[in-house]
Amino acid sequence: MRYTDRINSAYEYISKILPCKPQIGIVLGTGLGNLADHIENKVIIDYSSMPDFPVSTVEGHAGRFIFGDLEGKKVLVMQGRFHYYEGYSMKEVTLPIRVMRKLGIGMLILSNACGGLNKAFSAGDIMIIKDHINLIGDNPLIGENLSEFGPRFPDMSQTYDHELIELCKKVASKLNIKVHEGVYTAVSGPNYETKAELNMLIIAGSDAVGMSTVPEAIVARHCGMRILGLSCITDMAIPDTLVPLSHEEVVRVAEMAKPKFVSLVKEFIKEVNIDESL
Amino acid sequence: MNELNKKISEAQLFIENNISEKPEIGLILGSGLGVLGDKAEKQNIIEYANIPNFPVSTIEGHKGRFIFGEISGRKVAIMQGRFHYYEGYDMKEVVFPVWVMRSLGIDKLIVTNAAGGINTYYKPGDLMLIKDHINFMGKNPLIGPNLSSMGTRFPDMSNAYSNRLRDLIKKISYKLNISIREGVYASMTGPAYETPAEIKMLRIMGADAVGMSTVPEVIAANHAGMEIAGISCITNMAAGVLDKPLSHDEVIRTADEVKDKFIKLVISIISEI
Repeated sequence: MRYTDRINSAYEYISKILPCKPQIGIVLGTGLGNLADHIENKVIIDYSSMPDFPVSTVEGHAGRFIFGDLEGKKVLVMQGRFHYYEGYSMKEVTLPIRVMRKLGIGMLILSNACGGLNKAFSAGDIMIIKDHINLIGDNPLIGENLSEFGPRFPDMSQTYDHELIELCKKVASKLNIKVHEGVYTAVSGPNYETKAELNMLIIAGSDAVGMSTVPEAIVARHCGMRILGLSCITDMAIPDTLVPLSHEEVVRVAEMAKPKFVSLVKEFIKEVNIDESL
Repeated sequence: MNELNKKISEAQLFIENNISEKPEIGLILGSGLGVLGDKAEKQNIIEYANIPNFPVSTIEGHKGRFIFGEISGRKVAIMQGRFHYYEGYDMKEVVFPVWVMRSLGIDKLIVTNAAGGINTYYKPGDLMLIKDHINFMGKNPLIGPNLSSMGTRFPDMSNAYSNRLRDLIKKISYKLNISIREGVYASMTGPAYETPAEIKMLRIMGADAVGMSTVPEVIAANHAGMEIAGISCITNMAAGVLDKPLSHDEVIRTADEVKDKFIKLVISIISEI
């Protein structure tokens, strides 16, 4: 089946179920899935019920779309995403983003759990992504350009929208939530990084490292969406002080950080203006 | 004979049957620089589409054909249009023409490209002699069974861009009064332009310019024992250097502005090589 047919078939399936057009897309990272509990008038669509859609396999990811009302906006939340390390192709990883675009969504909030590389951070902190480095070794736009979504060579000089970053900082300060700003580097995983790799990432200018978000951001930028990226620093990955890391620990810290993550995102959604022209 | 060798030979034979004299110098023309091909005399054009086993170029500004002919009396094979990894070709398809050129007897290769300037001393319109490269594509065209008809399993890359040719090109550019930089070219997959954070990383790593081509071809050509010269046309500053978005139109526009000095330089190189 052609890739564009897969996008269209997922789009048609969802658009028949949704009562109206969603305004904001949200991708929830590991352990942050409970933002969805705050959504009202929910419509739930399991990925597994959707034709030609990939299925999420990682622990802590539910694997479904939740549509509904959050702080007066119509949101479409992805509870569970597709990771490159699960064996999906880059095109599958980013298929839901293109489906969201077709549904009319012009603004996307990408969230993730990741390791902190900046000494000023601590586990449990939230970082607003100001830019990214793609070290996955693959790019979702390789292959024939889908010109109905965007240009062959998309500019990436402002991937994460400056206005949305400013608004998020303002909201955080109002709520008295400490946020950092930094560069998120994506690696393929699934193994965590070695100390030597972490050192290299720090030298390269990274503030945080994770295994998601960047492919989705590239595809979302390609199709002209405005992006806000939020990382929950679930562990510190400073090489000198590195202790063995478990996925359970990541999930535990994400649990702890959840309340402030949820209030930050909710307040941001309340305050943000939807640009209907997108 | 393995499948790949067979494919290369079929392409080689097809070309040999369609040209009268063996070329000695290969030339790969980058985005917006294809016009150099028109300067060749006694042109014999072979469309890639007609060559057995050849992929077909799809990108705007790339024509997709070989021009066999003469420049300054030297027999050249000019590639007007190349195959990029970001188009979806695998690395073996990207470098396939290099193997075919080598099989045709070509032992000198001039590769050119349009690149973004990372070095903040550079400006759009500058030419840069490639002194070395960094492969940031996450792939290598030599992965797989070694093509021993071309070269060794573990090729040395310590002099991939020939010292001799670099010295020669510097002398020629001095003589022609064309200023030329010398720097390290980093290749990324694209097709998205890099983020400012990625450019900063590449600068820290020692790159002076960034692009989406050339490195695979040079790896294959070096493996096959070709003597290589690389010239980048700095068509724009890379992301984050200037406070403005990047566009393919700007790349093509700048390449168009510098094409005269570029053509003059390359023609001189060919005559003196």
